[in-house]
Amino acid sequence: MDSKFIRNFSIIAHIDHGKSTLADQLLLKSGTITEREFREQILDDLDIERSRGITVKARSVTINYKLNGQNYELNLIDTPGHVDFHYEVNRSLAACEGALLVVDAFQGVQAQTVANAYAAINVNLEIIPVVNKIDLPVIRVDEVLEEVENVLGLDASDALRVSAKTGMNIETVFEAIIKRIPPPAGNPNAPLKALVFDSKYDNYRGVVTYIRIVDGSVKPGDKIKFMRAGISSDVLEVGQFRPEMRACGGLGTGQVGYLLTGIKDLSLVTVGDTVTMAVGGTDQPLPGYLKPKQMVFCGMYPIDATGFETLREELQKLSMNDSSFSFVPETSDALGFGFRCGFLGLLHMEIVQQRLEGEQDMDLIQTAPNVTYEILTRDGQVRTIDNPQDVPDAGVIEEFREPIAHVSFIVPSENVGTIMQLCQDRRGIFKNTEFLGPQRAQIHYELPLSEIVYDMYDKLKSVTRGYGTMDYEVIGFLAADLVKMDILVKGVRVDALSTIVHRSTAERRGRSLVKRLKNEISKHQFEIAIQAAIGSRVIARETISALRKNVTSKCYGGDITRKRKLLQKQKEGKKRMKQFGEVEIPQKAFLTVLESNREDG
Amino acid sequence: MTKHNDKSADTSAAESSPGAAEPSVFTQTQTSQVDESGVTAVYIHVPFCLHRCGYCDFTLVANQDDLIPDYLAALKNELESTAADHAFHGPQSMDTIFIGGGTPTHLSPSHLTELFSLLQRYFHLTDGGEFSVEANPDGLDDDRIRVLKDFGVNRLSLGVQSFDDDCLRLLERRHSAAEAIETIQRCSDEFDNLSADLIYAVPGQSLRSWTTTLKSAISLPLSHISTYGLTYEQGTPFYRRANSGELRRQTDETERQQYLTGIGLLKGAGFEHYEVSNFAKNGFRCRHNQTYWQGRSYFAAGPGAARYLNGRRSTNCRSVARWIRSWSDNSPCIQESEDLNAEEKAREFMMLALRMIDGLNIEAFERRFGVSVRTLAGEAIQRHIAGGLLEYHGKNLRLTAEGLLLADSVVVDFL
Ligand SMILES: Nc1nc2c(ncn2[C@@H]2O[C@H](COP(=O)(O)OP(=O)(O)O)[C@@H](O)[C@H]2O)c(=O)[nH]1
Ligand code: SF4
Repeated sequence: MDSKFIRNFSIIAHIDHGKSTLADQLLLKSGTITEREFREQILDDLDIERSRGITVKARSVTINYKLNGQNYELNLIDTPGHVDFHYEVNRSLAACEGALLVVDAFQGVQAQTVANAYAAINVNLEIIPVVNKIDLPVIRVDEVLEEVENVLGLDASDALRVSAKTGMNIETVFEAIIKRIPPPAGNPNAPLKALVFDSKYDNYRGVVTYIRIVDGSVKPGDKIKFMRAGISSDVLEVGQFRPEMRACGGLGTGQVGYLLTGIKDLSLVTVGDTVTMAVGGTDQPLPGYLKPKQMVFCGMYPIDATGFETLREELQKLSMNDSSFSFVPETSDALGFGFRCGFLGLLHMEIVQQRLEGEQDMDLIQTAPNVTYEILTRDGQVRTIDNPQDVPDAGVIEEFREPIAHVSFIVPSENVGTIMQLCQDRRGIFKNTEFLGPQRAQIHYELPLSEIVYDMYDKLKSVTRGYGTMDYEVIGFLAADLVKMDILVKGVRVDALSTIVHRSTAERRGRSLVKRLKNEISKHQFEIAIQAAIGSRVIARETISALRKNVTSKCYGGDITRKRKLLQKQKEGKKRMKQFGEVEIPQKAFLTVLESNREDG
Repeated sequence: MTKHNDKSADTSAAESSPGAAEPSVFTQTQTSQVDESGVTAVYIHVPFCLHRCGYCDFTLVANQDDLIPDYLAALKNELESTAADHAFHGPQSMDTIFIGGGTPTHLSPSHLTELFSLLQRYFHLTDGGEFSVEANPDGLDDDRIRVLKDFGVNRLSLGVQSFDDDCLRLLERRHSAAEAIETIQRCSDEFDNLSADLIYAVPGQSLRSWTTTLKSAISLPLSHISTYGLTYEQGTPFYRRANSGELRRQTDETERQQYLTGIGLLKGAGFEHYEVSNFAKNGFRCRHNQTYWQGRSYFAAGPGAARYLNGRRSTNCRSVARWIRSWSDNSPCIQESEDLNAEEKAREFMMLALRMIDGLNIEAFERRFGVSVRTLAGEAIQRHIAGGLLEYHGKNLRLTAEGLLLADSVVVDFL
């Protein structure tokens, strides 16, 4: 296909502004999927079990569309919408010439709208503002467009107005993609140069490499080379996503699709690598990417020591499909042998955990997440601390440093005061405030990452009743007065519950934590004391009273299975608990350090 | 059902069998004494409500009344397939028919008529049978009551939940206490067998409020009362609100007090306490529910509905949309199914029986399952008798008053 008739684009949006719905609608209107497949998505929204719908893995689809008698090939490259995944967003954008910036007609520009739009502006994409959800009864399109102009500096005069849900004005989207986004520029006669923008492992086909051809072309039988990895391989199959993988005779300049090679090891195919011909290829690779740093860590332990190898295998499998996730073995007095796992952020952690749970019935204990710290020792060494247990004696520490992030919030004007107070309480350094209009403001702060990980997101949501949004980026490490806080349950110290906290917040955190642990540890036949301590000084205490009622009186109708399963779960639950002295502590308790639950503020 | 949609169905029985190590306890001949041939109960699920109450995780959709015609069409297909699979020759005789939801009476009179006419093609009620329908006080107008009467419904189960307007509001119910009272009175002209569901352990509900609710219920012409402790089910707004601290769960101690208060007041007013959550005037125990609790078979249809046929428990898909889609194409839509082996049947039977106040009749159990209770759960029985949670009463093993409050801790050891 002549690259004149190809358009490569992404859809970027703040979460829930309708990116997935718009993507589905484009697939529907172009006949790439059927009405039935489309309705399936929409219909399932009615049910309580609707999943969170966060696109984590960038995906791509090739769409055929005919405009004024001419066939076009449109490649939609999906991007994840969450703060944790800047890296994935950037690598997807690099494969495009344009982006649809979807903005909710009522909610307007939000923090991730800004972050994503800037990412697209940075790589010089043609950006088409799309105001979505115009079918809603209450919308404020003019204000929203003003925000797009004021905040993002984009020309909103020919912004599109659509409803992804009902399909209203979707034709205008196709037209804008074709008329406004430039076709790919590459040279079809130059040697092959293709960008690897994603990869995945498929049990039947081995590694699937997602590529965007920049120059030249590729077909089955070619001998190609991954330039950065320095490995060569034969091309076994070339194809496009429609949306299922469909083989084709070859991919030309500007096209997007996949390669199958003999490669079985996903770690050899790095995203951002350049593919060229093994012989007579280019010697100028495309600019690579900096791999994102993991900033959040937690421990994962099998309940049963025999599960260690299985867990290792599972983690291995996950990391094969997610290069931003890492793990190393570690041990805990309380939990035995396990792994310390690293994530880009909290959401990333949650998603990996869900996958682990989803993929097999592993009995796991996850410890509270923490960020990476640095310690400058008296003898002048800098140590990286991913685990509270590794904190050396206070006497050895010259300086305890924590990661600092630049955070930007977009909130309703009336919440500015409260948010600033929240940031102040969390040791934030105020940078500046911009008013985006009479009703909303953008606030910039520098905050310790640990405070963000701890509860900033929840707080923001509750203070602004869901209207506030935030985005952050780690900018460096700074010294702070940090201490290690321990937890004792009925006199026994549980090392996996230790956390690193700022001295000024230790007491508040300690109180809140023991309170939450109290809710997680079920009642026993006897009383249980839970204490928080710094060194030998107890700073908070709660008591769990003895069990008084345990009978489900709920109407299950004839669903005896469900009833039995609940009981069986209780029974299983008992097996999954860890015994500390006389007390059984459930897995979930190890996560409670994470949930701040608003009790402390 | 002849289809297994759930691939785990075939293996689960073997794998999850708690006592797989000692299969010798059960022999073929012993289990074959269990007669499951005559199915005499049917449950139909109607998944529509005006609004989804914040605590409710039942299978239903709110604000999707446009799906009702599709639902009725899909139901017809599911019933037709049930009839074919079980070789119905004309309408089957049922001792009990139970139409639950959702809110079955959320359907318009004409849709209700359509529903009942459809059911008539497959089932008919035996003389003296029990025909129950669940209903909510709001919207239960005379036209709907007329349809119920015309089709032979003789028991109404009303989702009253409380006679305290604050509780009703918090529970997001769409009726007031006064409306509930008016509806009960109006229904009692037509139905002697009238039940109300009540909920305790509602955030903010005082013991006094709960007592008032119980007393109001007692003063009304009700023959049956169910009391349920509010639970916070995953996925519901209440679950999130409780976890975020916006809703305050009642403490164990309060819940215990409220439960005990319910038992005391209702028994004092002439209701028999016959199951953990259920109370009835003499002769008004819910026969349909007893089918469930006595391990007997039943048909079921509708999204999320659970059936028990030929030793297999299976539950329909809980997504309303998926169930409709599936059955409009005439393909079954099963969420999960499992074949119970002899031991699982016996253990499940014990679990259900112990939740009834009369408890487990040892002789009847051993006759039916051909194995002694002691062999299956001797250690647990001894431990809980010693702990004061179980006792023998004549030929029955039953929970003590304290045991009733810790019933889950006890029955879990029988599984
Ligand atoms: N009323 C209305 N709702 C929409 C529209 N587009 C998306 N939605 C709804 O908005 C929610 C979020 O949409 P989704 O596509 O999942 O957002 P994403 O997170 O950006 O992918 C879903 O409940 C959609 O059904 C629209 O045009 N109109
Ligand atoms: S009326 Fe009943 S079934 Fe319907 S949502 Fe409320 S509690 Fe659930």
